Amino acid sequence: MSSSMTLTNHTAPNTKHVIPPSVFTLRRTAQLEALYTIIRNKDTSRGDFIFYSDRIIRLLVEEGLNHLPVVPKVVETPTGAQYDGVGFEGKICGVSILRAGEAMEQGLREVCRSVRIGKILIQRDEDTTLPKLFYSKLPQDIAQRYVLLLDPMLATGGSAMKAVEVITEHGVAEDRIVFINLISSPQGLKTFSTRYPAVKVITGWIDEGLNDRAYIVPGLGDFGERRYCA
Amino acid sequence: MSDYLDVHFRDRSNPKPTPLIVIDTKVLTNTILKSHGRPPWYGEDGQSISPAFVIGIAGGSSSGKTHVARQIVRALGSIPAVVIMSQDSFYKKHTPEEVALAFTSRFDFDHPDSIDMDLFAACLSDLKNLQQTNIPVYSFTEHQRLEETKYLYGATIIIAEGILALHDPEMRKLYDLKIFVQADSDLMLARRIARDTKERGRSVDGILEQYLRYVKPSYDNFVLPSSRHADIIVPGKNNAVAIELISTHIRRQLQQRSRHFRQKIAASLKRSLSRGPPRELSIDELGLTVLEQTPQLKGIYTVLRDRTSTRQDFIFFTDRLATLLVEKAMEMLPYREVNIETPVGVQTQGKVIDVESLCGVTILRSGGPLEQGLQRVIHDVPIGSLLVQSDSNTGEPLLFQVRMPECIRQRHRAVNTWVFLLDAQIGTGASGFMAIRVLLDHGVNPAHIIFVTFLVARNVWLENAKRHVAFLDEDGFDDAQQHKAWVVEPGMGQIGDRYYLN
Repeated sequence: MSSSMTLTNHTAPNTKHVIPPSVFTLRRTAQLEALYTIIRNKDTSRGDFIFYSDRIIRLLVEEGLNHLPVVPKVVETPTGAQYDGVGFEGKICGVSILRAGEAMEQGLREVCRSVRIGKILIQRDEDTTLPKLFYSKLPQDIAQRYVLLLDPMLATGGSAMKAVEVITEHGVAEDRIVFINLISSPQGLKTFSTRYPAVKVITGWIDEGLNDRAYIVPGLGDFGERRYCA
Repeated sequence: MSDYLDVHFRDRSNPKPTPLIVIDTKVLTNTILKSHGRPPWYGEDGQSISPAFVIGIAGGSSSGKTHVARQIVRALGSIPAVVIMSQDSFYKKHTPEEVALAFTSRFDFDHPDSIDMDLFAACLSDLKNLQQTNIPVYSFTEHQRLEETKYLYGATIIIAEGILALHDPEMRKLYDLKIFVQADSDLMLARRIARDTKERGRSVDGILEQYLRYVKPSYDNFVLPSSRHADIIVPGKNNAVAIELISTHIRRQLQQRSRHFRQKIAASLKRSLSRGPPRELSIDELGLTVLEQTPQLKGIYTVLRDRTSTRQDFIFFTDRLATLLVEKAMEMLPYREVNIETPVGVQTQGKVIDVESLCGVTILRSGGPLEQGLQRVIHDVPIGSLLVQSDSNTGEPLLFQVRMPECIRQRHRAVNTWVFLLDAQIGTGASGFMAIRVLLDHGVNPAHIIFVTFLVARNVWLENAKRHVAFLDEDGFDDAQQHKAWVVEPGMGQIGDRYYLN
């Protein structure tokens, strides 16, 4: 693991880790990199952090939605022509992992209007150091819905796996869950995908790894802190 | 004549600038007069056909220059846009000493040296070459040039008036027609006394002193001698016949230019027809970048094309699509590398947009539905607008209004500005073509213009040819047929109506 304060290039393709087949990333354009540069920079103001992280979140949600099925649909246009289009199939809902996941809700709602959003609070148990469920409030008919699971940072994968466990306990099939995050660590991706290979993961950027305090590097710090407090 | 826009009223002795409510011919300066929209001023190749027609009007103070200018405008009737530029705007920046003199009426405002002729000629030259210009604003209450400037663009006819309008050789080179308004000195003095005592509350003694000290010498030494450069000398009163002659001349000049324009379009149409039968153009030939056709994108288009979609759905999905389009357009900007430190304490390399300024320009009305997307993607983006409407008879695009953000108004900034040009669809491409010409006129680099649109008709080539046939054949093509030709099939209907009205 590279120690802090060394110059790294987060654009360099990561050859050390193989990306699991259930993981999808956004195309690495200069513009996406510029967005990440803004939210990674410790000197970025809170206003800019919110604006630019929302842009990435919208792109991630758009990508996530493309993994949901559509059905053929023929419509008539205002000019009277027929158009062979597609309709959106099935109902969806969001589930955010408190509290950083909540920050992704606005971006979600800009793409999926008035979507239902469940919430899960998971924290590290002081005794066992394992993630523990403290609170969950999910839509009653969640079993009939596709679930977009929201958590901005995938570090060790502990809380995400706990969240999937809770959601599947409510009757949602694994292959109907799409996990959306902004930045992930290779270790976290590997752990998560090995445990839940049927859950699709949409990640904006795969970083170098974790430091000794389990923070993603180069990362962007504490997402919830920067979004709500900084 | 019609409505008058952006009228400013300045009076040398009035303590406060007064907004002009009643149009008075005497005080109308630096004014754009518009009757109806401006038809294309460029050919098929996008190049301008001819520069603006420039008239210089000189003559002594109170000789009736402005009256002549206004009468010419009136006689010309329905012309697209006329700018009247006054020499008074171009008084030089004064030193504090000069300002003090001016307040005691001891500054010579009638001498050629008091006028910034270089700037006057530069601004006039910009306008003549169909570019934007920013003319200075002079305050007669402060006796000083102000920091602000006034933006002008898009005149077909320019009238430059002032006592010394024919004095400067550089200025004279720019005129297509030079007019000198001749009035007897005693008549001018009489008018001056009448005006200044009644309207400005000045004493006859004061008026005479100023007249003898500055006005008369300037007239004798500079103004009157410049009359030998005039093409025509117009009497300062009873001049209806002279004005009729002048306006007939101008009208004929303008008609010749417009005939030339139509010939050029006809020639280019023949050329394009000789290229063979119409066919669908490939994406590359059209120079397009098309969004990846994902299931979600197809789903969005299905909602937008569906005539039964509710207005709420139409708006929501339009905004969503606009956001995706602008995100895609952002990929075309240049980026450079930058080093940053993250809150975790790690140095890393990233990228940052390498653009001096960035703005949106909306083609009204249907470009409006893309604005929400632009604002979601670019923080505090300045957005200008152009109102382009099709003439219902000819199908010709007409430019009605130009509102440009600051970064385009100033030419030196425009050359470094990237523009997202927004319009809902490209059918014939005529309004987009006009909008691009406006941007180029302002100095925007064509490589810096990114046209963002929901739909493009694949047979743009065919549509373009049809448009020109309709344009050239003045009797043919009834309305219904024309309009049918311009509707994009299967299309989304009138996007502006569906977004704003239905």
